[in-house]
Amino acid sequence: MIEINDLRLSFGSNEVLKGIDLSIEKGQVTVIIGPSGSGKTTLLRCINLLEIPTEGALRIGDSALSFREGAKPGRGDILAFRRKTGMVFQSYNLFPHMTALQNVMEAQVIVQKKSRAEAKARSLELLGKVGLASKADSYPHQLSGGQQQRVGIARAMGIGPELLLFDEPTSALDPELVGEVLKVIKELAVEGMTMAIVTHEMKFASQVADRIVFMDEGIIMEQGSPNEVLNHPAQERTRQFLSLLSEPV
Amino acid sequence: MNDRTAHLTDIFIDSFVPLLMAGIKFTIPLTIISFILGFVLAFLTALARLSRWSILQRVAWFYVWIIRGTPLLVQLFIIFYGLPSIGVVIDAFTAAVIGFSISVGAYGSEIIRAAIQSIAKGQWEAAYSVGMTRSQALRRIVLPQAARVSLPPLANSFISLLKDTSLAATVTLTELFQKGQQITAVVYEPLLLYCEVALIYLIFSTVLSALQHQLEHRFDRYAAR
Repeated sequence: MIEINDLRLSFGSNEVLKGIDLSIEKGQVTVIIGPSGSGKTTLLRCINLLEIPTEGALRIGDSALSFREGAKPGRGDILAFRRKTGMVFQSYNLFPHMTALQNVMEAQVIVQKKSRAEAKARSLELLGKVGLASKADSYPHQLSGGQQQRVGIARAMGIGPELLLFDEPTSALDPELVGEVLKVIKELAVEGMTMAIVTHEMKFASQVADRIVFMDEGIIMEQGSPNEVLNHPAQERTRQFLSLLSEPV
Repeated sequence: MNDRTAHLTDIFIDSFVPLLMAGIKFTIPLTIISFILGFVLAFLTALARLSRWSILQRVAWFYVWIIRGTPLLVQLFIIFYGLPSIGVVIDAFTAAVIGFSISVGAYGSEIIRAAIQSIAKGQWEAAYSVGMTRSQALRRIVLPQAARVSLPPLANSFISLLKDTSLAATVTLTELFQKGQQITAVVYEPLLLYCEVALIYLIFSTVLSALQHQLEHRFDRYAAR
């Protein structure tokens, strides 16, 4: 249901994505791993159109966009496409002047034009799902990092995206708070949410992923089932990367 | 000595109400009206500076450049004494409002622009990621946060403006300071009268500072500590 074809992105002469081909089936969880600077976060940002690809094509469900050098897609097309994806950010990026509930409701009311009552009911349901029904009226600064990130997940879910993107969702968290966020993501996976996750949590990746994609230097080096990529990597670069991770510090 | 003190006390008391009235009739309305108009101008100018259209950016830049680079007193003289020679005659109060609004607009636009730019990029991105347009993101996410950031410096310019309105004395407006000059001319006690004028400005600005404090307190409920 999600097709990425020969996606390229350059910042000036620096080519960050060098032709990415990737497809994600409905209900699948794809985990993207790779060293920093490999372009994995940039790939997610391209799918959400926070970065506009220089070349290539994106398709989600029945809406497709193609990109050419010097020809940006129209603003309406970008918005429509963006509304099919939800993004969970490394640094949460909650709206600090709104309560947890308002954070989740906001786009439903402003973008989707739902009635306040309908948006509120849906948002409370989502906050309940991430275990934060009791924190609906708390402001972000009153919540722990793990709680903020779970509100972030509920907010991204609020617009009913076909695809949920996670950009290193636990990297900014204290170690003892990582588990609660990963647990929520696992539950979403069980429910059949389509997700693409950039993470460094290898154990989590092996548990939750249907597919693992290893990226390096702007290309996909290797992809396959967790067992294939994590336990029997075909590429030398993948082996090197995985051995660096497993080495004791 | 005792007679002298009694005499000064009498002058002080007799002058207080006329001075206060001049303040209430002219200084305060001049400050409030100019600030409101100036704020609207400042907001539009800040948006123009941040807009994608370079013509708007340039017009805004030019306006700020001219107003910040020339003395307010000279601007007031151009409006009130200069413009009549090309047939534009404006009464003193209106001339002062125009001069002060334009000044607040220029300085305030830089405050508002800086406040908008101080909001983390991640806030825009989070707004975009849930499908908001640029103007929705600006209105719903960025401006409410920028308002809090810009409140202290804007309150500063408000208080500055209160004091700057004394310049309106030079375009014949009988505001607080001009009134003080007039009374001084009769009783010839400049030290007493100008101190009294200063005292009334101080009272006004103290009230305004208290208001600012209240407003900031209200914004604080969501501010991370």
